[in-house]
Amino acid sequence: MTTRAKVLIGLGAYFGLAILMLLVFGSSGKNEAFQPQNEFKLEPWVSIHLGGIDFSINKAVLYLVLASALTIGTMVWISRRMQQKPNRVQTAIEVSYDLTKNNITGSHLDPKTAARWFPFLAALFFFIWFSNMIGFLPLPTNTEHEFSIFGLQVPAFALYAATANLSIPLALTLVVWVSYHVEGIRAKGLVPYLASWLPPGLEEMNPIGKTFIFAIEAISHFARMISLSVRLFANMLAGHLLLLFMGGGLAVLLGIAALGALTFPLAFFFFVLEVGLIATLQAFIFSTLTAIYIGGATSASH
Amino acid sequence: MDPMLLPIAEVTDAGITDAGKAIALGVGAGLGSIGAGIGIGFIFGKEIESVARQPEMKDELQSIRWLGFALTEAVAFYTFIFGLIAFFL
Repeated sequence: MTTRAKVLIGLGAYFGLAILMLLVFGSSGKNEAFQPQNEFKLEPWVSIHLGGIDFSINKAVLYLVLASALTIGTMVWISRRMQQKPNRVQTAIEVSYDLTKNNITGSHLDPKTAARWFPFLAALFFFIWFSNMIGFLPLPTNTEHEFSIFGLQVPAFALYAATANLSIPLALTLVVWVSYHVEGIRAKGLVPYLASWLPPGLEEMNPIGKTFIFAIEAISHFARMISLSVRLFANMLAGHLLLLFMGGGLAVLLGIAALGALTFPLAFFFFVLEVGLIATLQAFIFSTLTAIYIGGATSASH
Repeated sequence: MDPMLLPIAEVTDAGITDAGKAIALGVGAGLGSIGAGIGIGFIFGKEIESVARQPEMKDELQSIRWLGFALTEAVAFYTFIFGLIAFFL
């Protein structure tokens, strides 16, 4: 059989199954009860209100704690039992250590700044990586309602990532944003640092033009705050939504079973894409951009 | 307006609002993807071209490629997020 015939038979089976299911099950109408956005709704589990601020413990807090515990736990565990002949986990950690040290930190910062900021950048990378990855662990607890384990009522907590909530990327971004400005001011002094925002080659320009360009540069510094946080948040949110819809959410929402047969293989494709590429890439990008911002703030020539 | 037609007019108004929200999400996410798709195509195309010319630069280009890919891909998600904001708020 030729490759062409195989591909045609495969495609025929794929669409044929969908058409067969459409003929057998038909459409049961739009499902109003299923609200896909509830996956991202944060129900307070333990209500804590202090001075008008909501400190309630909810799903996002659980995932934040899980990601932090995993980051610290893995690194401490590996560093305790370092071996001369590394096993597989140690090799993986060493590769990622090398990535954070030489690629992310080393290639964007000068050696002195790199030595000072490497722990922060590596911690950022590993924390975001772990919190992205545990969001893709398929757990059988992904319902909207409470479920019971041995009679214990547990709220549903599956398929959520701490980074799929804007608050956590925004908090990380604020730390990065403040620290690169502080580092720039510490390296150059306040006025020279602000002057270094202007691109080189403007010495001949009149003050009004310089002020105008300075204003644009200042806006771009504030835009970094939005772009850095929304990039991570939107990638994780869109990834989770894609998996939810492709893995059957769309079929349930529209009440067409045949659609599920078409979208389900795509769910595998997107799962591999998210786990294999996007989760790591977003952690890499966040810490690389942080390194670039710190490098841009501290380097002598802008 | 004719009082008999008033309930229909109200229903249609709500329907128009819903339709507008759906269009905002669809057009926002769809048109945003066009730009990001062109950009990602450029990045990978140029990277292939560069590696074909200078294969010894491959490792250096690889990290730049992923940086460019993630920066461009995020643009599609900005529009998607603003579409969702228009849809749900």
